[in-house]
Amino acid sequence: MKHFSLRKLFLGCGALALFILAWKLVTDAKLVSPIFFPGPERTYAALVKGLSGGAMLSQTLETVQRMLLGWLLASFVGVFLGVLIGVSRRARAFIAPTLELLRPLPASAMIPIAIAFLGFSDNMVLVVIAFGALWPMLLATIHGFAAMEPRLYEVSALLGLSRAQVIWKLALPSAMPMILASLRLGLTISLILAVVGEMLASRQGLGQSILAASRSFRSPDLFAGIVILGAIGLVGSRLLSFAERRLLRWQAVSR
Amino acid sequence: MVVTQLSTRPRHGEGNSTPASGEARIRIFDVTLSYGSLQIIGGISLDIAPGETICVIGPSGCGKTTLLRMLAGLARPTSGSVELDGSVLGGPNRSVAIVFQDYGKALLPWRTAAGNVSLALEARGCPGAERLAITREMLEKIGLGRHADKYPAEMSGGMQQRLQIARCLAQEPKVLLMDEPFGALDAMTRQALQDEVLGLVATTGATMVFVTHDLEEAIYLGDRIICLQPNPGRVGRIVDVRLARPRNQLLTRENPEFLRLRRELYDLIKDDHQ
Repeated sequence: MKHFSLRKLFLGCGALALFILAWKLVTDAKLVSPIFFPGPERTYAALVKGLSGGAMLSQTLETVQRMLLGWLLASFVGVFLGVLIGVSRRARAFIAPTLELLRPLPASAMIPIAIAFLGFSDNMVLVVIAFGALWPMLLATIHGFAAMEPRLYEVSALLGLSRAQVIWKLALPSAMPMILASLRLGLTISLILAVVGEMLASRQGLGQSILAASRSFRSPDLFAGIVILGAIGLVGSRLLSFAERRLLRWQAVSR
Repeated sequence: MVVTQLSTRPRHGEGNSTPASGEARIRIFDVTLSYGSLQIIGGISLDIAPGETICVIGPSGCGKTTLLRMLAGLARPTSGSVELDGSVLGGPNRSVAIVFQDYGKALLPWRTAAGNVSLALEARGCPGAERLAITREMLEKIGLGRHADKYPAEMSGGMQQRLQIARCLAQEPKVLLMDEPFGALDAMTRQALQDEVLGLVATTGATMVFVTHDLEEAIYLGDRIICLQPNPGRVGRIVDVRLARPRNQLLTRENPEFLRLRRELYDLIKDDHQ
């Protein structure tokens, strides 16, 4: 088991190494002007400098914090609304068409509206993140509730479980695989919207720093920012997968 | 399922449904059940005494499971009534537990064996320490003591069905309903569970209604066997089983009375299939 995952890790690193090699070859051949497209060495140097002494570390923390706050907000609101809608078939029928109308709206299209109400503020960015990222959690909760094994509703009636117990002990755990998968999706959306929000509302963070670097032709800084964003996404997704495996241990076990 | 529509009045009260001595635990009185114009159950009356074990057999589509769901309060009779200890059963009731055939769907896959049993206790607001003790006791009783921390997916079919029975026992039911509970299990497991259930029913004094399509199982377990007839479901015949208890997988099954009953029931069921 251990052996297998090590091999997978090795394979994954191999692809990454090839990618960096290709990147280096393209930049060394000067296929694109170095002003716009720095090689891996220059990007790495900018990364080290930015993280050790520069502003990049604090900007990274700003962005991570924004992403996490927005994601938490989205998760709580999404699951909570999902429970409210999911518990009753009538509520589902009532609200479903409206949700289908709102869901495909790009969250970035909501930014001007959010600006009109909240101005260029951190709260505005948070609201945009929460709005954009709550959909996966909301829909997963609703679908999870609807997909609960009907036999379990009968069991709950026979045992005399209260409505709150049915939600807490049966419906939520049975929807949990879907909800956890949606949390991962929601985190990705939160990262994207955190960056977009910072760019548009010029809030402190990686989004703004990337934009500034690009405007002043500091392409190594620009690429360093992108590398950090990639790393944030990777780490977040890995942490959530880990939590998912722990929480869904009952699914993995088999005879 | 093929159920033909029947326009004639159901013949009810067929078969001899004399109540056992004393007050009945369950009284089924002239119960019918229809979905739209389709009659599933057409007039069944039956009294079941406390501690009695009733087995219900009959061809598929005769309403065995529907009858059991009415006794559980999961289905409402269209007319007539089901009474538990003299009061009308209006819906599911903690005094009535049911073991479903599809244990895989009835158990909570995210809870361990102990967690599944505990659910029944949580439902009735049993405090934590007591809950642990009772859970352990129930699992011991059904032979799952060593498997308390296993998830259903880690258990065999027989163990999962044991677990469902343990959860039902934790309800401390007066009536235990069984819907072809061992139908999906292999022969050896099935016989072991038959004996365990008989033992549990004897010690708890619970009343049992056991639906099965296995004639020998019905004879082995029952005090009385209700043979249902289809279209619409009604009582065709009630057969008394006068075999000594405790029963024994070899001796009871070799008893001439057992063999006689098997032939009698076989002929009855065969007639229904023609």
